[in-house]
Amino acid sequence: MAIIKAQKTTARAAPLSETSVVGWLHKNLFSSVFNTLLTLVTLYVIYLTLSSVFIWGFWDATFVAENRRECFNNSLTGACWAGVIDWFDNIFYGRYPRDQIWRINFGGLLLALWMAPLWMGRVNGKVLIAVSVIAFYPFLAGYLFAGGSKNLFLQIMVTGAIVAFAINMANMITGLTRRVSLNVFVIQLFGKTSAAEKSQRNLLLLLAGLVYAAVFFWQMSWHVEVVNWTKWGGLFLTLVISGIGIASALPGGIILALGRRSKLPVVRVLSTGFIEIFRSVPLITVLFMATTMFPLFMPEGFVLNKLVQVIIAVVLFNACYMAETVRAGLQAIPKGQFEGAHTIGLGYWGTMGLVVMPQALKHMIPNIVGSFIGLLKDTTLVSIIGLYDILGMLRSISKDVPWIGLHKEPLIFGAILFFTLCFSMSKYSRHLEVKLSAGNKH
Amino acid sequence: MTSVTSQGQLASAASSEVIIEINQMNKWYSDFHVLKDINLTVRKGERIVVCGPSGSGKSTLIRCINALETHQEGDILVDGILLGQNLKNLDHIRTEVGMVFQNFNLFPHLTILENLTLGPIWVRKMAKAEAIETAMMYLERVKIPEQANKYPGQMSGGQQQRVAIARSLCMSPKIMLFDEPTSALDPEMIKEVLDVMVELADTGMTMIVVTHEMGFAKTIADEVIFMDEGDIVETNDPAGFFGNPQHARTQKFLNQIL
Ligand SMILES: Nc1ncnc2c1ncn2[C@@H]1O[C@H](COP(=O)(O)OP(=O)(O)OP(=O)(O)O)[C@@H](O)[C@H]1O
Ligand SMILES: [Mg+2]
Repeated sequence: MAIIKAQKTTARAAPLSETSVVGWLHKNLFSSVFNTLLTLVTLYVIYLTLSSVFIWGFWDATFVAENRRECFNNSLTGACWAGVIDWFDNIFYGRYPRDQIWRINFGGLLLALWMAPLWMGRVNGKVLIAVSVIAFYPFLAGYLFAGGSKNLFLQIMVTGAIVAFAINMANMITGLTRRVSLNVFVIQLFGKTSAAEKSQRNLLLLLAGLVYAAVFFWQMSWHVEVVNWTKWGGLFLTLVISGIGIASALPGGIILALGRRSKLPVVRVLSTGFIEIFRSVPLITVLFMATTMFPLFMPEGFVLNKLVQVIIAVVLFNACYMAETVRAGLQAIPKGQFEGAHTIGLGYWGTMGLVVMPQALKHMIPNIVGSFIGLLKDTTLVSIIGLYDILGMLRSISKDVPWIGLHKEPLIFGAILFFTLCFSMSKYSRHLEVKLSAGNKH
Repeated sequence: MTSVTSQGQLASAASSEVIIEINQMNKWYSDFHVLKDINLTVRKGERIVVCGPSGSGKSTLIRCINALETHQEGDILVDGILLGQNLKNLDHIRTEVGMVFQNFNLFPHLTILENLTLGPIWVRKMAKAEAIETAMMYLERVKIPEQANKYPGQMSGGQQQRVAIARSLCMSPKIMLFDEPTSALDPEMIKEVLDVMVELADTGMTMIVVTHEMGFAKTIADEVIFMDEGDIVETNDPAGFFGNPQHARTQKFLNQIL
């Protein structure tokens, strides 16, 4: 016998427990006697902790003082932030000459401006912008921070960086104001819209060449005061090391991962060996090796400064970890994607660059950012081998005569700083993931 | 404009010019002998349907033709080019031979239009505007021009398969290979894909189709090939193949699927 429902059921509003705040509280926090008790105890514990942190860190704390004695005179139970504030410049810039600090800030500003178009929906050519920043910015920044005389190679790269930066900014402006990329704008300016693509490209290359030559002659006369790397320190040094690490770990990791999957046995064995060796040694060991053993393998009279050695070590170490992340991402790409690319005639690099990597990288974003966060935090290990990065600086506050014995506050300040940096990176990665997966669910 | 004979069959477009020639070809997967002494001649414009039980080597055969797999013995000549170790030849062959897979294998991170223009722009070095124009023309032909800016994941299986066909056609191939193009589709979508394939056959494209869609095979095939355990067991015209199969294994197979 068939059972038939004659009336269509009309939709009703959801019960209160699903929609109102009170309903939610009742359902989740106060549903039973035991649950209520648990909620109250937890609330009390949270209150105790937060209130004592607040009293120590803010209510009873001293923000202005000449030395630690004055802090104690002011309050025995509060934090002494005055010491941290007094050391702000050291914490951020190390012993960089105070009248040259603008160079660091300027370098940071350039980087921010350079990368800003990456977040602008209207601007085209994002891949080129990202590549140009990795390829050129380090040379410009390195020259800006270190100063001194520049050899021909550095001059070429610095000029390249300035031209790339200028093109990038001009492209951003035409993109924002006219919604066209710079090359289209220039072509229109010269009224060559109907010309063949080849002659258009030649015109653009000629213009870029002229700009390059002009900038090259201009920069030849620049003199930037030398600041020895031993004066670099604080958050600045931490960001230099981890920044270079981050910028080169991903390309390095991609190359190593592709090497590990290569069909050529020599390439495969070398990549695998390299990756496995670095992955089975702790970073601190690699750092010690780099600074003490590395010079032994170098030819007589070949001296690299400690900072360069440390950076090389950090880069290699992280490239190896990144290689495994990338490899995992590559393995997640179904075989059909390679075959699809094959049938439209793409070769190895086309398949990897246009089809496989874009998908793999997207899947890997959380892992990649995870490694970046790890890298930023691991950089503090360089303080053990005697570089005054941010951790080194924070710890030397307690050895400074006026602030002798001040351990807690600097380290807590450092923790807050790291938390802010790392947490925003992780939030941003989450945001990226959501944004990138919005368009194309599988 | 589809020219159909009185039996509902598409008129043959086969010319006398040979475009694929396979000679005593053998293939092994390590020591498993998948393809045994394969001989096959395909003329330009000819449409061949391949069928046979699962694991008989149908996919492997057509994958050898566009160099997705390498064979160990014998010769495969495609459009006058001998498939062998020479990588330059492989690149050329892959742009001449289009292939459509059971699982579409569209690129999920690209829009439909980008899927279609990727090959023309990067492999054929076509100007972007021209590539887009060609892509739209083929989307028109597979009847989904309005979906150009969607992502593959936002489309039905039948639509995705039609995009996959259009993607291959954008490379203007001389030969199209189909590996069970409808077997991952829901029944109501099979027809829309088969219709597109019949129209393609009508344009005179050389096609090799692995399929068990017997109605479709009867409509377009010039020749039906039956494979079993790596052998080409029977080659016949569609009427003979379905009406009067010669080989015992063919008869058994047809009894099972009809
Ligand atoms: N990469 C491989 N390595 C080893 N054996 C394989 C591989 N690919 C296929 N085979 C085997 O080769 C035989 C033929 O496979 P093939 O995919 O060509 O069959 P098919 O006729 O297309 O079957 P189906 O109808 O299931 O698609 C099967 O026994 C299969 O297990
Ligand atoms: Mg198959």
